[in-house]
Amino acid sequence: MITQEKYRTRVKELLANNSVKMVIGYKQGSTADRRRPLFVRSFEEADELVLDSNCIGNLAGYLVTEGLLSDEKRVGIFLRPEGIRSINILAAESQLNTEQIIIFGFDTSGREVKALQGEQAGDFSGLIDSLKEKPPEKSSDALLYRIDQMNTEERFAFWKDEFSRCIKCYACRQACPMCYCRRCIVDSNQPQWINTSSHTLGNFEWNIVRAFHLAGRCVGCGNCDRACPVNIPLRFINARMAQEVFESFDHYAGTSQTQEPVLASFNKDDSETFIL
Amino acid sequence: MAKIGVFICHCGENIASKVDCTKLAAAIGEHPGVEVSVEYKYFCSDPGQESVKKAIRDNNLTGIVIAACSPRMHEATFRKACAEAGLNPYLCEIANIREQCSWVHTDKDMATEKAMDITRSMIEKVKRNNKLQPIEVPVTRRALVIGGGIAGIQAALDIANAGQEVVLVEREPSLGGHMAQLSETFPTLDCSQCIMTPRMVEAAQHPKIRLLTYAEVEHVDGYIGNFKVRIRMKSRYVDIDTCTGCGDCMTKCPVKKISNEFDCGLGKRTAIYTPFAQSVPNIPVIDKTSCIYFKNGKCKTCMKSCQINAINFDMKDEFIDLDVGAIIVATGFQVQNTAGYGEYGYGKYPDVITGLQFERLASASGPTAGKILRSSDGKVPETVVFIQCAGSRDPSKGVRYCSKICCMYTAKHAMLYSHKVHGGKTHIFYMDIRAAGKGYDEFTRRAIEEDDASYLRGRVSKVWEENGKLMVRGVDTLLGKPVVIEADMVVLATAMVPQPNAKEFAKIIGIAYDEYGYYNEAHLKLRPVESSTAGVFLAGACQSPKDIPDSVAQASASASKVLALFSKEKLEREPVVAATNEITCAGCWGCVLACPYNAIEKKDIFDRSGRLVKRVASVNPGLCQGCGTCVTFCRSNSIDLAGFTEKQIFAEVMGL
Ligand SMILES: Cc1cc2nc3c(=O)[nH]c(=O)nc-3n(C[C@H](O)[C@H](O)[C@H](O)COP(=O)(O)OP(=O)(O)OC[C@H]3O[C@@H](n4cnc5c(N)ncnc54)[C@H](O)[C@@H]3O)c2cc1C
Ligand code: SF4
Ligand code: SF4
Ligand code: SF4
Ligand code: SF4
Repeated sequence: MITQEKYRTRVKELLANNSVKMVIGYKQGSTADRRRPLFVRSFEEADELVLDSNCIGNLAGYLVTEGLLSDEKRVGIFLRPEGIRSINILAAESQLNTEQIIIFGFDTSGREVKALQGEQAGDFSGLIDSLKEKPPEKSSDALLYRIDQMNTEERFAFWKDEFSRCIKCYACRQACPMCYCRRCIVDSNQPQWINTSSHTLGNFEWNIVRAFHLAGRCVGCGNCDRACPVNIPLRFINARMAQEVFESFDHYAGTSQTQEPVLASFNKDDSETFIL
Repeated sequence: MAKIGVFICHCGENIASKVDCTKLAAAIGEHPGVEVSVEYKYFCSDPGQESVKKAIRDNNLTGIVIAACSPRMHEATFRKACAEAGLNPYLCEIANIREQCSWVHTDKDMATEKAMDITRSMIEKVKRNNKLQPIEVPVTRRALVIGGGIAGIQAALDIANAGQEVVLVEREPSLGGHMAQLSETFPTLDCSQCIMTPRMVEAAQHPKIRLLTYAEVEHVDGYIGNFKVRIRMKSRYVDIDTCTGCGDCMTKCPVKKISNEFDCGLGKRTAIYTPFAQSVPNIPVIDKTSCIYFKNGKCKTCMKSCQINAINFDMKDEFIDLDVGAIIVATGFQVQNTAGYGEYGYGKYPDVITGLQFERLASASGPTAGKILRSSDGKVPETVVFIQCAGSRDPSKGVRYCSKICCMYTAKHAMLYSHKVHGGKTHIFYMDIRAAGKGYDEFTRRAIEEDDASYLRGRVSKVWEENGKLMVRGVDTLLGKPVVIEADMVVLATAMVPQPNAKEFAKIIGIAYDEYGYYNEAHLKLRPVESSTAGVFLAGACQSPKDIPDSVAQASASASKVLALFSKEKLEREPVVAATNEITCAGCWGCVLACPYNAIEKKDIFDRSGRLVKRVASVNPGLCQGCGTCVTFCRSNSIDLAGFTEKQIFAEVMGL
């Protein structure tokens, strides 16, 4: 509550002196424990801001809405540490300029909300570096633990079964802050590399391609699997890719806005002598 | 409507023995869009090509497929035939039914089936091929040669003598490289300085050569025919145009005890110095790290001693920007640091030296004026042990390869020693004697037979000091016995290794290198002097260990490649280049970073009122090498490669 009030006041302050044109935060959702995005442009809207442990969605994706940042005015946004990492990646991929973004950082443990020090993406680098040092415990999630124990065939069967439910609604893509392409590869039909019908092959193609496109970019915010109407635990595939990339290239997505995209960059310590 | 001609080649028996070509031709004749489907013994022959041309003209074909050997063999041949028959050469595809089919299968029926699949898939592709026009790029007729060792000098002279401009860049204060350090050279024992110095002078005075010493290449941009390079002229603190090379400054400099790099630490030099007496240019530089003035702001003795005021302590590094059309990399090698060989006592015992140090001792212009003397006490050694492969062919020390020159120079050292020290005894520990080359085996035989070198086949396990002698313990594997030799001097034939900065430097130029840092050739056998980047060539020991004859031969070969490039005003390039789709590009710039040839630029798109609408990626077709890296990277599928478009590849895959 204290953080919520503090941030409400700060939002009003910034709006009052025209430092931001809008703040993206959370408000009460359709049920008691759901929160939905709120786009604050006025004092009245600022009073609707909610900040508690139910604010779990990663709002970073709204920043790359076409045209939002093109007037070079500043926008404020409520972000968890994963969200701040998303901002760094978006900046590294030239989708936004971090100077335009005022961050209301927060994290939760249990029901408690704590404010993070800083307002610009760069202010949080110490925090992100410390996250890189201690990755979350695998055993903390029962399903992830179970997947990890499977052998290759079992894991393949597991995902095949999960993907078989996919209805190709692309909600995962819409929810993911990293899926900002103007035209996604699935929407390209000349030629149609990925089958659009929801059969096993097409579903596999889609979900695996998306996993590859997120390799070294996913921050594990979970937007995708919360969005999935058929409850496919999507973030675990992406988490696995992130782990592989971390182990092979010591790359932890979103540490800074100058971090080079792992699959596009070449380092003399890489095991291959050439990018090809 | 597609009218495709399919020409099925027997390749003598190569294809016909495993693929039923008659059946194949009949089946393919049924495929939609195929107008002509014929077989012949050798389509690559003259009559074969004529029949292809005739079929194109007679049937107004819109595309052809040659079902034959790998496109590496004859794609160019058949494209040319197409062009002669009036069909755009990029409407010709090769279906490889030899390397990928007949040569690797035994069952004729199944091989025939597979040949049908391969051919059909190419028919589907060629139906979607577009007419492409070769790209023309202008050529700047000026070459950059990096490295002023024998290889760089030779390449520069060859190009300049053919009338083209050369810029020769050497990072040290003088030209010469390692050859200037050598005493006499195998297999003819001519004096290295005597044959090298005239070359250095010729290069420096050549009207077509611009010599930049004490200079380094900072940055390379551009592409074949059109490179842009930035060169840093390190400040010498001596004005190169006024200095007469009198040397007064060097005699006056109070700092006299700096270990001389050129003499491998066996001699001393001053803080203002030329590396050696015959330096080209004969203009000193001030070594900032040892000069007293740069340490505490006092001294300038040299400046006072200079009669013509050529010394200027305020000099700053300068930059020169140049346009060049071709680059020859001739940055040479280093000898391996022997510190890793604790067991041989290098660095611990002053009389354990490297082969290069021995060269300096044996050189008439060296620190001992050509006398072989021990550094410890200045005495003439009576017994010298040479240890070959000290570092080479030793995976545990990180060098698996053979340095190629050590067998020869060790034999040379033994000879020089026996010529200079009568009655001296030499022992050479070796693994194998590798003396392949004109006059080389004769040379090593001479060392054994005339100069009494005693060769011991085996490795040395330890060198230690006892009563003023160096004790060398090894094994004579031919006798199967351990041996201990009392020596006065031990010479290590240390491995040749790439320059320590070779990998970083390769990245500046944009060429590939191997696990050690030697620069990779485009093809080990067929394109040994071209690098992986068009317009960049290799010469000398930067590519692999080489002796002088090999370095010179490769330098001349590179020069001839450069001259061939300069023989035309414009360059024709394959039009297989990438292009971005500016509408769908998300502007992530991943491709910009991924492109190994720096061919992709950022481009701003404005609307009619000049407002920035978006920023996208844009490929420079002059730079693009058509490697396809960007195509595989782009997540939004916004890049396509001409000649291998998504549509074409998709059709090809679906045709299988
Ligand atoms: C002990 C010993 C004895 C030998 N004896 C013989 C012999 O008797 N006969 C024989 O045929 N061969 C002999 N060789 C081999 C011979 O030295 C080499 O074949 C020859 O020097 C190779 O010439 P190079 O021009 O390729 O390289 P180098 O001589 O190494 O010249 C390279 C030049 O490039 C310069 N350079 C490096 N990097 C840069 C940069 N980034 N920018 C600008 N300049 C740069 C260096 O300063 C150097 O001047 C011997 C070698 C050794 C070690
Ligand atoms: S893939 Fe899922 S978990 Fe990863 S960044 Fe996107 S939405 Fe978040
Ligand atoms: S959100 Fe779920 S159902 Fe929808 S496309 Fe993604 S994986 Fe498939
Ligand atoms: S990778 Fe694709 S989307 Fe990204 S800048 Fe290049 S062309 Fe555009
Ligand atoms: S194909 Fe793409 S990555 Fe390859 S050289 Fe051309 S632009 Fe660069």
